[in-house]
Amino acid sequence: MIEIETQLQGQTVAKGKPMLAVEVIDGYYGELHVLHQVSLRVQPGEIVALFGPNGHGKSTLLKTICGLHQASSGAILFGGQEITRLPSHKIVELGISYIPEERHLFTDMTVMENLNMGAYNLRARKSRNRNLEFVFSIFPRLAERKEQMCSTLSGGESRMVAIARGLMSEPTLVLVDEPSIGLSPGLVAVVFESIEKINRERGITILLVEQEIRHALGMAQRIYLMKKGRILFERYASQVDVAEIEKAYF
Amino acid sequence: MDSLLNAIASGLISGSLYAAMALGLTIIYGVSRVFNFGHGIVAVMGGYFVWSLMQQAGVGLLPSILVSLLVMYLIGFLVFRYSINPLLKKPGWEISTVLFMLGAGILLENVLLQVYGPRVKSIPLFVQGSVKMGPVQINWHELILMGVVVIGILALNLFFKSTRTGQAMRSVSQSIPGAKVVGIDIERIFGLTFGLAFAVTGFSGILLGTKYYLNPHIGWEWMVKGFVIVAFGGLGSTLGAIYAAVILGVVEAIATLYLGAIWVWPIWFTMFLILLLLRPQGILGGRM
Amino acid sequence: MNLLKRLTWKNWLVVWATLLIVVYPLIGASSYMKHLFILFFVWSVVASNWNLLMGYAGITSLGNIGFMAIGGYTSGILAKTFGLSPWLTIPIGGVASGLLVTLFLGLPALRLSGIYIALLSLIFADSLPSILTQTREITGGAMGLHEIPGFIPGMEKIHAYYICFAFFVLVHFLIHRTIISNTGLAFVALRDSENLATTVGVNRFKERIKVFALSSFFTGLAGGFYVHSLGDISPTTLSIEPFLLGITMMELGGIGTFAGPILGSAVIVFGNEFLRLAGTLRLALLGALICATILFFPGGIMQLIDQAEKLMRTLIRKRISREN
Repeated sequence: MIEIETQLQGQTVAKGKPMLAVEVIDGYYGELHVLHQVSLRVQPGEIVALFGPNGHGKSTLLKTICGLHQASSGAILFGGQEITRLPSHKIVELGISYIPEERHLFTDMTVMENLNMGAYNLRARKSRNRNLEFVFSIFPRLAERKEQMCSTLSGGESRMVAIARGLMSEPTLVLVDEPSIGLSPGLVAVVFESIEKINRERGITILLVEQEIRHALGMAQRIYLMKKGRILFERYASQVDVAEIEKAYF
Repeated sequence: MDSLLNAIASGLISGSLYAAMALGLTIIYGVSRVFNFGHGIVAVMGGYFVWSLMQQAGVGLLPSILVSLLVMYLIGFLVFRYSINPLLKKPGWEISTVLFMLGAGILLENVLLQVYGPRVKSIPLFVQGSVKMGPVQINWHELILMGVVVIGILALNLFFKSTRTGQAMRSVSQSIPGAKVVGIDIERIFGLTFGLAFAVTGFSGILLGTKYYLNPHIGWEWMVKGFVIVAFGGLGSTLGAIYAAVILGVVEAIATLYLGAIWVWPIWFTMFLILLLLRPQGILGGRM
Repeated sequence: MNLLKRLTWKNWLVVWATLLIVVYPLIGASSYMKHLFILFFVWSVVASNWNLLMGYAGITSLGNIGFMAIGGYTSGILAKTFGLSPWLTIPIGGVASGLLVTLFLGLPALRLSGIYIALLSLIFADSLPSILTQTREITGGAMGLHEIPGFIPGMEKIHAYYICFAFFVLVHFLIHRTIISNTGLAFVALRDSENLATTVGVNRFKERIKVFALSSFFTGLAGGFYVHSLGDISPTTLSIEPFLLGITMMELGGIGTFAGPILGSAVIVFGNEFLRLAGTLRLALLGALICATILFFPGGIMQLIDQAEKLMRTLIRKRISREN
């Protein structure tokens, strides 16, 4: 049991075990070195935002955490337990849920069937009805479209299904990859609101990758900036503004 | 007119048997994208096990079928675990799995040839006699076969819609990343799928073995027919395979009646080519 | 002098092997050995072109023996029935094969994905025997064609030997040039990552047609050389055994490499005696060999050679550093 103190600008963020600890991981796609000595912490109950230019490794990092991709070195710990080499289905069982940017919905199934599949792991089966209720309360539009085929949904609706399905697995940590991308401003607000609700009402910890800096900054407690596969800096959300982050992109 | 109706009836029956045979192929391809080039021999094996149990061990028909299905399921699972799975993890798996299953199929075919000899075997008919419905005369036996296939298809459908594993298989066939994200163990599902498909295929071999005969070489003929049916119906679509099987079965019967058996294959092939040109993905190409 | 220094041990091996092959009949090779070598020359052309399609371009094609049969039958019929010279009929056979295959397989392959091409090629090859039986009068049906004229009047085995060897060298030279050219790169690019390849300007359609046309043309030529060297052809060439042998040649040698199919066909042709010993289990053995090679030695003999070479280099280096 390691007690970690996260030092941030001279102040201790939180004592106690981080929920998620990414420790100096490197990642490759074939010969391409995409993650360089990346380290990251997420404390229980936090919303942490990960910013950075496109194609610089943010999605790869999320995929590596949830087991869709393998780190070549380093360690990833969840609740103190090492999950670096675990296959994706075991990581879901432990309580991490990944909501990919591409959504990856089951297009030949209805909304309801997708949500049910979200509750595939045995732990989630028991709380299925409770989670369904919760999910429909956050996304009332989905309740109306329960029996609709996913292939016929609009962009915003399928994004909602992806998020909802991710919640059905009864997670304690959710990794969300660019939830607002390609959505109209109205829907962007809905999506961010829903993420906040998830964190507030259920205490689910969130690691959020986003390009919509202003909204994400408003929700998060801490932020990281990632560029060219490296973590450039870590800040309290309250001590940094949009302009500073955008400047760092270049 | 009478003979036409009889031909259609006969075509429907053989169509249903072809459907049973094509299902195993479709299930494996739909879920794992592996095309089983040893499909024919799997069907024949299922039939041979039943024959062995009945003729050589004196076991009754029903228990023989159950044991055979179980054995086929295990074989499918093991084949996946120890040969296909390792190949899937390396690049170029599309070609290596095809060639591997071809080689394995030939190997098994010749092993069966050694064990059982080249003379044909058949599984005894369930019942004798026939029934006359208007101008059409059908054997009871064939009617039962068709009934069994229909029940089997309905059971499979129920399995895919209502059981956790069946739903997982459907999910995997539609999106592997999606399946991973909801916590499905892809390797395990692949293994179970192979097991299920081998059992279904073995079962179809048993059915075909009662209507026609068993011989290590006939597996190849069944297999190539199965390929045409599956591609015609759309790879990965179980419903498409069923439609295609029935259509091609009826075409086969009618062609045999009016033109003679040697014309069946050229006609099938031409239909196949035309369909591929107009609609490359088959009738219902796409998903399960 | 510089050239000699740049030659590797592999290059030297090829030089010596070529010299031996050229000299062999002159120093007393038996008729049987000459026969085997002719088979080796022809079959390795088939295997190398099959490898071009499957190994380099990544297209699962199961009908290449059919290409050979088309070329062989066309050439044989034209020469025997119409008395045309093999030097004319063999290229015609090659063109016939190239045209038919590009039409029935190459064009559909533009619209279909990998597994469909495999199925189509299988069905294509499977339907050839029945076409042959239906056209009994011209093709000799199940009995096949016999007494097909040789390359030159009064031809002896030794003539066929050298002619086929020249063919072997020429085709492999052309294949090698294709592999190292832009076309070869395009084939591999399409195989490894079709999306990326098309983005950088590789024309998927053009390259697919090219590889089918090239592969089937040369294989058709090989069929022609086959019939005029041996004098017979029958539908048994289209049976399962030659098909398996062809696949084994590629897998055993190392699919996707240049020398692999050549080595593989050498092993198969000269090792056929061992296969014959297995009697009725011959096919089972071939099947088992294919499975074992794919599972445990996917790179075939070439992989073994590369590993052995690496091992030797490491040992030599260790020896040298120890001595210092």
